[in-house]
Formats: sequence, structure tokens, C-alpha cells
Amino acid sequence: MRFGIWKLAFILLPFFTGCGKEDGQLREAKKNVVMIEVTAQVWDYRLPWNPGTVSSSRGAGFVIEGNRILTNAHVVSSARYITVQREADPRKYPAKVLHVAHDCDLALVEVQDAEFFKGTTALPIGGIPDLESVVSVYGFPIGGDRLSVTRGVVSRIDYNSYTHSGRESHLAIQIDAAINPGNSGGPVIQADKVVGVAFQGFRGDVAQNVGYMIPTPVIRRFLKDVEDGHYDHYVDIAIRWMPLENPAMRKYLHRPNDGLGVVVTDIFSEGSSDGVLKKEDVLLSIDGHPIESDGSVRLEGQPVQLEEIVERKFAGDQVELEVWRNQSLQKVALTLRPAEMFSMYENLYEEAPRYVLYGGLVFQPLTSNLMGGLLGAADLRLRQTYTLFGQDQLYRETPEPVILSSVLPDRLNVYLVGMAGQIVREINGQRIRTLADVIPALESGGERTVIRFEGDQRPAVLKKSEVDRVMPRIMAQYGIKEVSRTEVNGRRLAKGSFSGEKSK
Amino acid sequence: MNRGWMIFLFGWVTIGMAAGPADITSRGSLVRIRASIQPYDQFRPWQKKAPFGLNGTGVVLPGGKVLATAALVENRTEVGLEKPGSAEKCAAEVEAIDYEANLALLKPTDPEFLKGFAGMVMGTALRSGDKAEVWQLERNGELLRNQAEILSAGVGRYPSDEAGFLVYGVRVSLPKRDDSYMLPLVRNGQLAGIMMGYDRDSQEGSAIPVPMIEHFLKDSADGKYEGFPTLGVSWSPLRDPNLREEVLAPKSGGVLLTRVNPRGTAGHAGLMEGDVLLSVDGFNLDEDGNYRDALYGPTAVGNLIRTRPTVGSPAKFHISRRGKEMDLAGVYDRKAREEVAIPTLQYDVPPKYVVVGGLVFQELTGTYLQEWGDKWSERAPQRLVQLFTFQHEKRADPEKKVVFLSQVLPSPTTLGYLQLSGLVLEKLNGREIHNLQELAETVDRADSGDLVFEFTDDPGKLVLGAAEVRAVQEKIGKDYNLPALRRL
Repeated sequence: MRFGIWKLAFILLPFFTGCGKEDGQLREAKKNVVMIEVTAQVWDYRLPWNPGTVSSSRGAGFVIEGNRILTNAHVVSSARYITVQREADPRKYPAKVLHVAHDCDLALVEVQDAEFFKGTTALPIGGIPDLESVVSVYGFPIGGDRLSVTRGVVSRIDYNSYTHSGRESHLAIQIDAAINPGNSGGPVIQADKVVGVAFQGFRGDVAQNVGYMIPTPVIRRFLKDVEDGHYDHYVDIAIRWMPLENPAMRKYLHRPNDGLGVVVTDIFSEGSSDGVLKKEDVLLSIDGHPIESDGSVRLEGQPVQLEEIVERKFAGDQVELEVWRNQSLQKVALTLRPAEMFSMYENLYEEAPRYVLYGGLVFQPLTSNLMGGLLGAADLRLRQTYTLFGQDQLYRETPEPVILSSVLPDRLNVYLVGMAGQIVREINGQRIRTLADVIPALESGGERTVIRFEGDQRPAVLKKSEVDRVMPRIMAQYGIKEVSRTEVNGRRLAKGSFSGEKSK
Repeated sequence: MNRGWMIFLFGWVTIGMAAGPADITSRGSLVRIRASIQPYDQFRPWQKKAPFGLNGTGVVLPGGKVLATAALVENRTEVGLEKPGSAEKCAAEVEAIDYEANLALLKPTDPEFLKGFAGMVMGTALRSGDKAEVWQLERNGELLRNQAEILSAGVGRYPSDEAGFLVYGVRVSLPKRDDSYMLPLVRNGQLAGIMMGYDRDSQEGSAIPVPMIEHFLKDSADGKYEGFPTLGVSWSPLRDPNLREEVLAPKSGGVLLTRVNPRGTAGHAGLMEGDVLLSVDGFNLDEDGNYRDALYGPTAVGNLIRTRPTVGSPAKFHISRRGKEMDLAGVYDRKAREEVAIPTLQYDVPPKYVVVGGLVFQELTGTYLQEWGDKWSERAPQRLVQLFTFQHEKRADPEKKVVFLSQVLPSPTTLGYLQLSGLVLEKLNGREIHNLQELAETVDRADSGDLVFEFTDDPGKLVLGAAEVRAVQEKIGKDYNLPALRRL
């Protein structure tokens, strides 16, 4: 499991502005860098029935083989209209998202008009650059309209949180080149090959000259994943482990002091390791790579965290582990799958927010977007439920906690207005485990609907006949067309990634 | 321009008039209090924090004792009294203290020290709109009388209390003076209250009213201080007609009990969750939980329960349970407040701890959590916050304290454990741990073999060698200059 450390990282927000053009000679690499202008519409989780706020932004991308444009997911997420433009050609071409992977912040964009690709050569994808080697970053950052190039060295190769998704950590490469809002999605090039996609940085007052790029193993994995026409989520081993450095702990587990192995401390139910690994298993190797006692393995000569082996695999793939259990050596194989039970922590983009409206009471599933929307309004109980949801495996009991997210004031609910932010426990005596439980529960029971919440909160009571009578009034008052939206893309539970519509 | 002058002049004249000539009443009723405060360091439980001083203006009571706020003398290392207008000093002892009610009674160690002080007598309770004065002492001992107005009298928050007590809102313009951490509120030369908070920007403050002070003094008179009673319930207003129908409440009045502590006054009297509380001791409650006070008008039920009765006096309740009205009787108590697994705030109590081979264990208190700052509920380890905040709901066994690993001191035995903190201990060597004493005993008994610690949260289990711990203990104490390896 990778609960990434919360960092003060920010996404290089695409920068607002017009465009520039240049007719000069461009280097081979520059031929393929494109400016992407996006009009996005972002859902408002406080007003889930609204179509959302429209905004425009700018980012970068580059042409790769197959006449596709690679960029960041955050450049094109929630896009309603996209145009792309090359340095050599003043025309703007409409474009479409082909695939988007929010978990690793990558997307592929396609352009119908073959004219656009005239003169492009497709940038080849390279490997992992060496530490201290020089790289060049291309993009359209703040400070002007034309293509910008900055140079820097590779500072660090490590796991890092990907802030676009909010919960994922993958391999990332830190560089000291100045990369700024608008660089997002642009290529980082070394020796005529792409070695990364610029994607996030640190705010200036925390650190200086710290930029991050998505390295090629992550890019290659994404490109391979979409070969079958749709993107699947990253898989997760879904365990917690602890370095096995303490001599007394090693002795207790009957391991010699050889500096190898980590101990499994928790297994998340419903995850890849559920039923296969056990607490106090010592993991000695993964797919043949010996695991050091700090959890690192050697991959292409570089020390990386053992999860990197899993990172490069796909749903349904196997991983083999050598395990020391009950003082004997065993070999076990895991079939990998995404950790869907943690999808609550993932920022949602294209999916329309789900809700149920009842007499001015708005019920929504607990998602990271809703927590962000509630801001300070979330009380301690809600914040704790959110924080401990994964750790305490609350999803086993309640896969999707339902929140009374707001109360739209009306004569009917005048005594309920202060109750927003509570976690719904039951409606008319029926336990609420997901949003799908809400409508059947509201329809059950007698003449009064009784909604009970977690903790020692009073229940909310409404008369069914009155609710039926005032619903048209409330919906007209607040401009709401639909009483509920409980299914999105045919899925009941929120999930992380989404494949863009195919070209027609 | 002219107007500006006028205001300035007016202000100056007012102050000049208030700082009147030496006042006989003030001389015999006020004394400076100098407290040296040094709280324990909850993150380094073996030591105290840097000391600081607080100065207040105490009220001498007839009989020679001095009334102070608890906040002025809590976590004190020493308290001294000083006569205004002279440098005469005397040490004082705290005879009674109530941290929740923010009141303390001091006694000079020299019985002769306040000889000749007549003391200030208790005045009557005030209500909003009444005029009073806030008294301050000038450096030379002269009295400074500031005109004050009572803005409100109702149940409000005290610094170290959760449930609320009677409090006066006071409007007064206070000049900056020494000894202003607490100040008397006076009317006609009699004590009306004690100022415990003041905001210089809004020129509004809060005062502990006389009924609270009288309750405190009456309770402490027999030398056995019991404190203010509590009911031990959570309740919700009952204005919503739909909710009234659902709980079968009578036509009007009453509040809905949403939680009843079985160990509290209400729990012992037989009140239950879901009951509608209609009246207490014959005072009817309205739908918002107010009773009609003879002096203050509609006032929150908190005052009825906490300020009026004393611990041990009889309590009478009239309730409606699923539509059936009934009378229940009990005795006012406050034990439920103290009998909790995790005490709320602790002053003047050294934090307990045990060091085992570099692992530092503590017992959870509200004071520890507060050490994380204003945003403690976000910054402190979330498991500890959860156990503390929702302990009333879980009806936890008050005998089972929360023992947790607070930090790890690097040593040869704690290699690989250094980043751990905030972990709640469940068991040691298979034995359930109820408090630090049990932890220490279990460690002492294991002379060889492993010490296997089991925690609620990840990583779940840590192991130390008992012999290795024994061998390294003394060195850890020396290396980190710990005065002791445990305090139980």
C-alpha cells in the first residue's frame, strides 16, 4: 500500500493566454511539441446537479508514434473543447481525448485532420536518465506565448505522490530545470529522446528549483495498457510492510542478520494479497529480486522500492514472492488487481457527481471531491471517517459512506438546516452502505421518513406526503432538473480512471 | 479637528475622574497575586517547560482568604500575595481549586499578613443592562475604577470546561495595567464577579458571576471540595414538529435526550436515550432547553443543573417516554465526569510515562492532545483524537486507560523503530494492558526472552529483547539526561 506523504506539491496549472507563432527553423525535437488549449468544465460537488464551471487553460504535449499526442491528464481533464497548435503552423486544430489515466497523470490526444501531422516526426521514447545528466524541458509556461526551453540536471529518482489523482505514488524524476505552470505535458528531452513528461513542482517558498517529470517506465506502461483500446487502473499489492532492521524483531521472526527481508504488517481485505499473504510473513524476494531489509530491490542496477516491480504490471498479471512463514520458506503467487476499495481517496474528474435529493436534503457519497468541497464545514467525525476509512478497512462494512452534504432551505426543512455534514447511518430502519441504498430506503417505511446519523445526533424526520408535495417547489427554486443521479457510466461505485470516447 | 479634540479631552477627563483618591474599601479588599507558572512538557514528560509569571488582582474575602481564578494559579510552582501600595509580600497556598469553574481560593501562609483587611462582601447577582465597575490597581496602589455594563447573563463557555456555566458578558474599556490577568467586577463596593477574559479590540470581556463564586465557596467551606454537578446527557432542541411527533412528545416544551451516560446523574435516575426531558426540579424546559429564571429570564438548562444544586442534593425529573409521562428522582452527582478512560484536561498533575529500552509510553489525556496546538484535532495522531473525542459514545471502561507509544528514543534496542509514534498499546506478552502501572510490572517481570508489544494500528507488533532492554536502560537515562525512566 502506498499512502503517499502529503506534500505541498502543486500541479503545474496550465497557463491562460492567447497563442504565438513562429516561422523560423525548429530543431527536430521542437517540430513535435504542441500547444494544447483546453476549455474545461469542472463539476461542482456542492451543487452536483449543476453542469459546472467553464474555464480555459493552456498546456503542452508532443507527437509520438502513431500520430498521437502525449500530454498530462490534468491538462485535458474535464475538457469540453480542445485545440492543438504547432510552432510551425499557425492553425488551431480541434482535438479529442483518446485515453486519459488520472492515476499516472498521462493522456493521449488525437487530431482528425491529417494535415496537422505534416512535418512532424514523432519523438522517440528513451530510458531513465542518469543522475546529474543534463535534460531540456519544452513547453509553453508563464512569461510569454512562444515555445520555451529550459535546461537542468536530473536531481533525484524516487517514488513520489502524483497530486492530480490525490492518492497515487509512482516513480518520478526530480529535475532542477525551471518548470512552471504551462510546462505541463511538455517533453523532457535528452540526446534526441524523450526521458520524461514535465508534470508538477513545488511552490516557491517551500523549495526552489524542484520540478518533477513522469519517467519513461510510467509512460511505457500507460502506452502498453491502452493497446487494447481502454485504460485500466494501476494495480496494487495492497499490504503494509515494515523494514526488518531491528535485531530483536529479526530474532523473533527467526531470521538471520543478513540484511534481507521486510515483514508484512497488514493486508487489506479485497486487495491483491487478501487470502494469500499473512501478517508476520517475511518477504524475501519478489519476482526473483532479493528484497533488502529496507524494502528496496535492484532494478536495472538502481535501488527502487519493491512496489516498483508491481507498478510495471497490469491487472491479472502475477507476481511471485518468496515468503518466510512459520519458520519455513514458501513460494506464493499473487494475481494483481487495482485497490478499488480506496477509490474514495482519488480525485474524480469527468464523472458527474452522484446525489439524491429528498425534501431539500442532499445525499452524496463520500469522495475526495466532496471533502474538498466541504472544506472547513466537515466536522471531526466526518474528517475521521475519511482519514481512517482505508486504515480501519471501514469499506468492509460501508463501501461508500453517504453524507447529508447540504440542506437546501425550504419551509419544509427549516429545523434541519444545521444538520449538513452528518454521516447517514440508516433511513427508515435500513442501514445505508452505499448511495444505491438511499432511494429504496426512502421509499420504505410508514408516513414519516426517519433518517438517523452516526453519533449522538438527533434524527431528521420528514412527512412523506409533504416531501412529495414540495419537491417540485424546491426543484424549481434551486434550478434542479433531476431528483437524483445514482449511476454514472453504469458504475455504482466511484472508480479512478476512465477511458475517453473512441474516435468515430 | 474640533471633534477630535473633544473626544480626546473627554476620555482624559473620564480616566482622571475614575482614578480617585485613595479608597478605603479598595485598600481593605484587594491584593496583588504573583504566580509563577511552569506546566509539564507533555511531549517530554520527564521535564517541565520554561517558567513564566502571571499577575492578577485578587479579592480578599472577609475572613482573610483570597479569591482568584484557577487559570491564574494552575500549574504553579509558587504563588505570592503582595499588598497594594507597599512591597509587603507573603506566600500563599491554594486551599481549593476548580479548573472547570475557573475559581481558586488562596490562603496566605502567614495568618497575620492580611490582618486589618476588612475584605469584600458578596453582592447580588446582576442582569443585563446593570452598571458595575472593574477595579484595577495602579502601580502605586491607587485604585482605578472603570465603568462597566453587563451586556448579557447566560450560559457560556469557560476556558477549561465543555458544558458551559453562567457567565456575564461585560462591556468595559480597560487601560493597560499590571496585575490584570484577573480583575474584580464590583458594584456598590460589593463583589459582583471576576473578570476572566477581555478582548481589547471589541472592549468586551467575560466575568464569573457571583452565584458561581458562592457555589464554589459554599462547597469548599467544609474542606472537602466536590465541584459542580453534571447531568451526563447530550440533548437536542425539540422545536421540529415532525421530530416531536416521531418521539411522541407532548404538545409543547421539553428537549430530546440523544445520549445518557449510565454512570451520570441522569443515568442513575433512570433517564434513557430517546426520553423527552420536560422539567428539572419543577422548572419546566421549553423546546430549546431554557427554563424561566427568576432573575435572568429564559436561561439554558445548564445553569439549572450546575450552579443551583450541589453534589448530593436530590434531583427530580419529569419526562415523557414514548408518549408516557413519568417522574424520576435521583441525586446530583459529578462522578461520571471524572470516571473516564481519558481525562479531559489535567493541571498540576505530572504526566505519567515509562521508558522501555527507548520506547516511551504515556497515558492519553486531553492535555497531551492539546499540546499539538490549536489544530490538535488535525495534527495529533488520528487514533488518539478518535479515542478521546468519541469516548463518551463508546462507553469505554473508565478503568482501561489508553497507553500509547508517544515517541522512540534512538538506542541500540530501538533500531528500525525510530519513526513510530502515536500507537495505542493493546497487549504486552499476551497480557492486556489497562494502564502504565501494568505495563511497568509486566516489563519488570520479564527477565529474559522477548517483550512483544501489540498495537491497535500498523505495524501491529514490535519486539524487544528483555535482557537487552535491561542492559541498555541505564545508558538511555544517561544519554538523554532523563531524571527518571518512569513516573507512575
